[in-house]
Amino acid sequence: MSTFSGLQTAASGLAAARRAMDVVGQNIVNQTTEGYTRQRVRTQAVAATATHGRFSVGAAPGQGVAVTGVARLGDEVLDARVRDSMAAAGFTSVRALAATSAEATLAEPTDEGLAARLSAFWNGWQDLANTPTSGAAAAVVIESGRDITAQLANTYRAIAAQWTEMRAGVDRAVTEINTLAGQVADLNVQIRDGLAAGRSVNELLDQRSVLAQSLAYVAGATATVEADGTMTVRLDGNALVAGDRARAIAAAGAPTLDSGTAVAMRWADSGNALTLSQGTLGGQLSALAPASEGGPLAQVAGALNDLATALATSVNAAHQSGVTASGAPGGQFFSLASGVPAALGIQVAVTDAADLALGAPGAGAQDGSNADAISQLGQGADSPDRLWSERVSAFAVATAGDIQRARLAETTATTAVAAQQSVAAVDGDEETVNLVAFQSAYQAAARIVTAVDEALDVIINRMGLVGR
Amino acid sequence: MISRVTSTAMADQAIRHLQSNMSRLAKLQDQATSQRAFASPSADPAAAATALGLHADQRRTEQYARNIDDGLAWVTTVDSALSEAVSLLGRARDLTVQGANAGTMSPTSREAIAVELEGIRDALLAASETRIQDRLVFAGTTDAATAFDAAYGFNGVPGAEVNRRIADGVTVRVDADGAAVFGEGTGSVFALLDRIVADLRAGEDVSTHLGAIDERRTAMLTVQGSVGARTNQLERAREATMSASVSLESRRAAVEDVDSVEVLVKLQAQELVYRSALAVTGRVLQPSLLEFLR
Repeated sequence: MSTFSGLQTAASGLAAARRAMDVVGQNIVNQTTEGYTRQRVRTQAVAATATHGRFSVGAAPGQGVAVTGVARLGDEVLDARVRDSMAAAGFTSVRALAATSAEATLAEPTDEGLAARLSAFWNGWQDLANTPTSGAAAAVVIESGRDITAQLANTYRAIAAQWTEMRAGVDRAVTEINTLAGQVADLNVQIRDGLAAGRSVNELLDQRSVLAQSLAYVAGATATVEADGTMTVRLDGNALVAGDRARAIAAAGAPTLDSGTAVAMRWADSGNALTLSQGTLGGQLSALAPASEGGPLAQVAGALNDLATALATSVNAAHQSGVTASGAPGGQFFSLASGVPAALGIQVAVTDAADLALGAPGAGAQDGSNADAISQLGQGADSPDRLWSERVSAFAVATAGDIQRARLAETTATTAVAAQQSVAAVDGDEETVNLVAFQSAYQAAARIVTAVDEALDVIINRMGLVGR
Repeated sequence: MISRVTSTAMADQAIRHLQSNMSRLAKLQDQATSQRAFASPSADPAAAATALGLHADQRRTEQYARNIDDGLAWVTTVDSALSEAVSLLGRARDLTVQGANAGTMSPTSREAIAVELEGIRDALLAASETRIQDRLVFAGTTDAATAFDAAYGFNGVPGAEVNRRIADGVTVRVDADGAAVFGEGTGSVFALLDRIVADLRAGEDVSTHLGAIDERRTAMLTVQGSVGARTNQLERAREATMSASVSLESRRAAVEDVDSVEVLVKLQAQELVYRSALAVTGRVLQPSLLEFLR
């Protein structure tokens, strides 16, 4: 045991305290950094060296303190739970958003909705039945018919635009996922090399954790950390990122709402199909799905088309069974263009009041009984009005369910994040206490240096001066 | 480890709670300002479905009220035209009785009666052409200029009626059949008066026509009676529609409108919650250990 070993011990204490204060500093400055996980210096007491020989003097104290590493106080299980809940939250929030904005487009049950337009249309026919000779009443009927066709087309276009926007969102999400996967693979390499070299990779782990969280939110990806420190990210059971390799995914098909097909997700390299049922991308895919697969936008569009068809069919049938004032049989009131969705193709075919078939055949030129019959088409179990209100109600129930699920998923995600943060987040007070503790440790270590120094001073400067 | 509380977590939680308080406040504010209980159908699907049905019912009821008012105008017009026709026919009967007193009548006075009877015939013809909104009330669905042609043939379409829809599935006839009121061709009241005039001028006994006049008068009164019954029906329907519209409105309001007082009280309570949340957040987030270390 050397004369100066006390100084060495104190020096190791100074170094450890300084390193600990450095880490506290890192924690404090990263208090608000996204994904930062608090760190702690891990120290170990250095054991006494084994001594042999004639100068060995029995029991010796240890040789000071060694910094063995900087621990990252995160919890893999809690991180995984956050990723799972994020995947569900992403899915439900996108679906709920799509459904609520489609619902807002319908504007039911207000005066601006289609149901109100239909009522006005039927009332117009009744006014016309009361005054078959009135040009004003005829104009009102024709105009309110045009109101309905315009609103059907506008609503359909708004839904189609929403669909197209979301379809573009799928392509953006695919690009984002591929970029994120590449970044995770890069970080995997750095982390693996860093661990092999014995460096601290805590900050890289934080970054990768944030990326994995994003991948879970966007694509519903699951992630596991392998023995060599790399993270394997899986989509639909297959590896998106494994070690240093990242695979790309691609979206294809279903360019427009009218195509009526689902967007096909594939692995870019193998071309194999990929099913995504989680994350915002999964939510977008389910919102874009055809009506038969429960896609809310396609369902609304389908309801608009069905309403247009039912309206045209029933009004035309009744209109054609009547005669005009001149006795000619009635033609079509609504025309449906072929080759386009019914909601876009419906038009008012009658342009002149003289072409309105208001009377029953043989009941006189001023008979309004057919107009009265048409005005009654809005009632009954299979009327266009009933069809519309049933579809609106069914959609409202589905939307309410989507909103409810989104709320629940959000609560779950919030809880999971809170649990994760309760472990990983930096607390200012805690760090302050640590800072004070490490500062005291530093001061104490410095005092040891002074004490040893003074002791040595006695040997060096004062010894052998007896009787001088 | 769930019990570890950090300042970051507290800040996050504070933001989340403030946000949820704000959203509740916004919802109440929306309700208070729009006076609507739900903003979108998904907020209350059952109420939205009821509201859709009630809106349609209300609009139909408004239309029925319009139809009834229009129908009442028709039946009133028909009724007054019929009253006029009946009183004209009464005068014609008096004149015929007067003309039948063959012994005391000079040819001049018979001629005077004949001229007045011709006037009554023209007045009856005019009554038969009573119009409402340019439509003949005694020949409802025809577009002919007059209800009867020069040979007293009826221009109306047999069996065709002018109806008004006054409730779901209920229609009421608002015109009158001119052929039933005035008769047709040689059997018409106009031809009858023409025959009386001709007989008067020829110096023949006209008392034989009294029976025909009475018959026609009975026919007119029968039609007038049924018009009166239909007027009553329309009046009753108007009452029913009015009360239906009131009850529909109150049902709609119950489903769709908010109770202002309730919303205001809730708004006040929510505001209090929000204020206290702000105050608590302000106090909790401020202190730090650093303030106490010197």
